[in-house]
Amino acid sequence: MDGYGLAWLAAGIGCGITVLGVGNGIGRLAAAALEAGARQPEAAGDVRTTMIIGAALIEGVALFALVVCIFLALKG
Amino acid sequence: MEEAGAYRLVKGHVVRASDGRAPALDLSVTNLVVFQWIGMLLVIGLFFLAGRRYRRAPLAPPRGIQNALEAVVVYIRDEVVRPNLRSERLVRAFMPYFVGLFCFILVLNLLGLLPGMHTATGSIGTTAALAITAFLVINGLAIREVGIKGWLHHLLGGAPVYLAPIMVPIEILGLFTKPFALTVRLFANMSAGHIILLSLVGLIFYFRSIFVAPMSIGFSIFIYLLETLVCFLQAYIFTILTAVFVGLALGDHADDHHGHAVSAS
Repeated sequence: MDGYGLAWLAAGIGCGITVLGVGNGIGRLAAAALEAGARQPEAAGDVRTTMIIGAALIEGVALFALVVCIFLALKG
Repeated sequence: MEEAGAYRLVKGHVVRASDGRAPALDLSVTNLVVFQWIGMLLVIGLFFLAGRRYRRAPLAPPRGIQNALEAVVVYIRDEVVRPNLRSERLVRAFMPYFVGLFCFILVLNLLGLLPGMHTATGSIGTTAALAITAFLVINGLAIREVGIKGWLHHLLGGAPVYLAPIMVPIEILGLFTKPFALTVRLFANMSAGHIILLSLVGLIFYFRSIFVAPMSIGFSIFIYLLETLVCFLQAYIFTILTAVFVGLALGDHADDHHGHAVSAS
């Protein structure tokens, strides 16, 4: 396996690990938001807005990692 | 600058006549630019139509396209801009920017879903330009409102002065990661959907079998509808994040510094 093969391998594995982390993060966020909305339906609107902002910021971190993966994959 | 006549057109690309390479400053009108123009014309045209009715009959109940646009504008004002920009003067001054941002991104996203059209927001150049304007608005407004001194003080992130060597680089990094994240988020979300659609349709050609087609088309329709949702969601997220960042940069020097937890990421 040459350097390019290793770079593609790293990109694929890195992508998978990134998605694991982000799925976990956004899943927990959505679970907490749903729970809060179920307990206090009148606050559901505020909670949803805050959840979307939080999800977007988590996604932003994931995108940084994915950009690194894309750079690795484009080495080939 | 090279003088006129120094360029040739080869297979639709502008190249230098001398060595056939790309020009130093490539300002050719690509399909991305054309679709941005179409988007601008659509947004301006729709708002012009709605605005004309307001001018003609200010007190009449809204109707048709006017009603739809009013719902969008009121939603952005009440749910996006007002909670983040605390003073009513700033809300009035910056409503056009936020409404324009939302409608422009939304129209560009939706244009990309029509067959034969091109997603201008699926290119990193367009989203970077949008994020650069957001960067200028965030920091320009902060400097104008709290002064250059307040803006520099904000770089401390509310920490004591002796932590400046650690906090200032982090906050400066944060200044640039915010627009970068805006850029990559919109670009990645818009191009990812198209790549998935391409792969699903490509499966038919890959297996060379008609029996793959029902599965492939079924999933494509699902992804297509998902993408319609993503179009609205990403336009909303871009707008609300810009508004949140403006609110954070303005800061409420009296009470909340908990907002910095968000600004650091």
